[in-house]
Amino acid sequence: MTLVALPLLSATPAFAMHISEGILPFHWAAFWYLVLAPFVALGVRRLNAISREDLSLKPLVGLLAAVVFIISCMPIPVPTAGTCSHPCGTGVAAILVGPLVSVLIAAVSLLIQALFLAHGGLSTLGANTFSMGVVGSFAGWLAFRGARRLGGSLAVAGFVAGLLADWATYAATALILSLGIRGEASFTPLFVKVVLAFLPTQLPLGILEGVITAGMVTLLYRKRPDLLVKMRVITEKELPAHA
Amino acid sequence: MAMHHLKAHICDASHPVNRIDPRVKLLCALALLVMVISCRGVAFPLLVSVSSLALCRYIGTTWRLLALRFSEPLFIAATVLLLKMFFSGSDPLFSFGVAGYELAAYREGLKEGVLIASRILGGVSLLAVVGFSTPFTDLMAALSWLRVPQVLVDVALFAWRYLFLLLEEAQVVYNAQKNRLGYVGYRRSLSSFGTLAGVLVIKAFDNSQSITTAMVQRGYDGDMPMTLQRPLRLTEVASALLFILAMIALRSSV
Repeated sequence: MTLVALPLLSATPAFAMHISEGILPFHWAAFWYLVLAPFVALGVRRLNAISREDLSLKPLVGLLAAVVFIISCMPIPVPTAGTCSHPCGTGVAAILVGPLVSVLIAAVSLLIQALFLAHGGLSTLGANTFSMGVVGSFAGWLAFRGARRLGGSLAVAGFVAGLLADWATYAATALILSLGIRGEASFTPLFVKVVLAFLPTQLPLGILEGVITAGMVTLLYRKRPDLLVKMRVITEKELPAHA
Repeated sequence: MAMHHLKAHICDASHPVNRIDPRVKLLCALALLVMVISCRGVAFPLLVSVSSLALCRYIGTTWRLLALRFSEPLFIAATVLLLKMFFSGSDPLFSFGVAGYELAAYREGLKEGVLIASRILGGVSLLAVVGFSTPFTDLMAALSWLRVPQVLVDVALFAWRYLFLLLEEAQVVYNAQKNRLGYVGYRRSLSSFGTLAGVLVIKAFDNSQSITTAMVQRGYDGDMPMTLQRPLRLTEVASALLFILAMIALRSSV
């Protein structure tokens, strides 16, 4: 039966990048806000601390939030679903400014999308920021740092970061969605169905996001390696010869 | 599409609904949102949805913009409804065969699906009224008044201020890439998209430097001065309370 329903369900993630307003009942919406709160508090503390040292960091984080907003508004064709989906963009934000500040970037980007595009919502802002901001950012950042420590090039590390940030975001979204809409039904079968529904679009989209993140990081390395040094993504020793 | 959608949010400041203090609007909307998402029946969320849509039309929102705004939530509502109807419950309503499989719809699933769909419509309509009737900066000032961390509000204001600039730059780069066949073939499209995103990050870095220089010259010391909020008038507090109480009464009666 699941197989029969897959074509029907596979369209969901293609359009529903974020959990829509009203899907989560009040107690789950409040729960995810509570789970998110310490990460936002730490992000606020971190941004306050680093922006005291460099006044340009707060505007930079704002502009990066705008970039994440734009990236996540850009449709990418997904052949398996015959439709379009879009990347998250938090992987690259986490690489550049760290996972805690990236949580704030995701929160702001999602707030603007909720208020003006009806992507996500205010009641689901906690849940969406947790999946995209916390899970996506930390997955991307850890993957990038891990790949670099293992000797991976910037492109490989960027690819792994983008891929895992995207897949981790959707795994978290599937979990949140299944917990929120299950009602009296048991959790595991519904979770499996939601994950299966996400697979046709998110498997290729994760790879696409990995390629795009790798492209972005290598472009920055080629054109503006000084920015990567400033954001402590690479050390001065790793600067290209022409820089 | 996002650019057109965002640019359409120009509020007519003289309209009575748009003149309501954003703090009052936000508080009422948040209270209603809590009522909608904690509702166990479909009547109240649908009532909120219909009233909010009527209010959107009253403030001059076009049908086209409403259709754009509701296309995604409506699709999600329909999908959740179908998902719940066919995969949740035990009391069969009807069944049919698809490719050799028997697909059954369940009564309990239908009920739960309709409830979630009504909550989606209610919530989205509420946010539409707030979004269409309040400028972003006023909403941020209201959030600041509600004790949302100032640094978060500052970042949101920076993001909003430079969003349109970056969108225009993205459009220019995209058109240039497209004219040079940058989006012909899957591999080239990906490469072009990666370059476009990378260029935006570089632009963000460069703009943040020039913005900071310009702001420091005007006295910026790391804190964005928010508009001083006047205390809420007694009539505003009373009318907000009255509205919320009326909605609570309505919710428990339907």
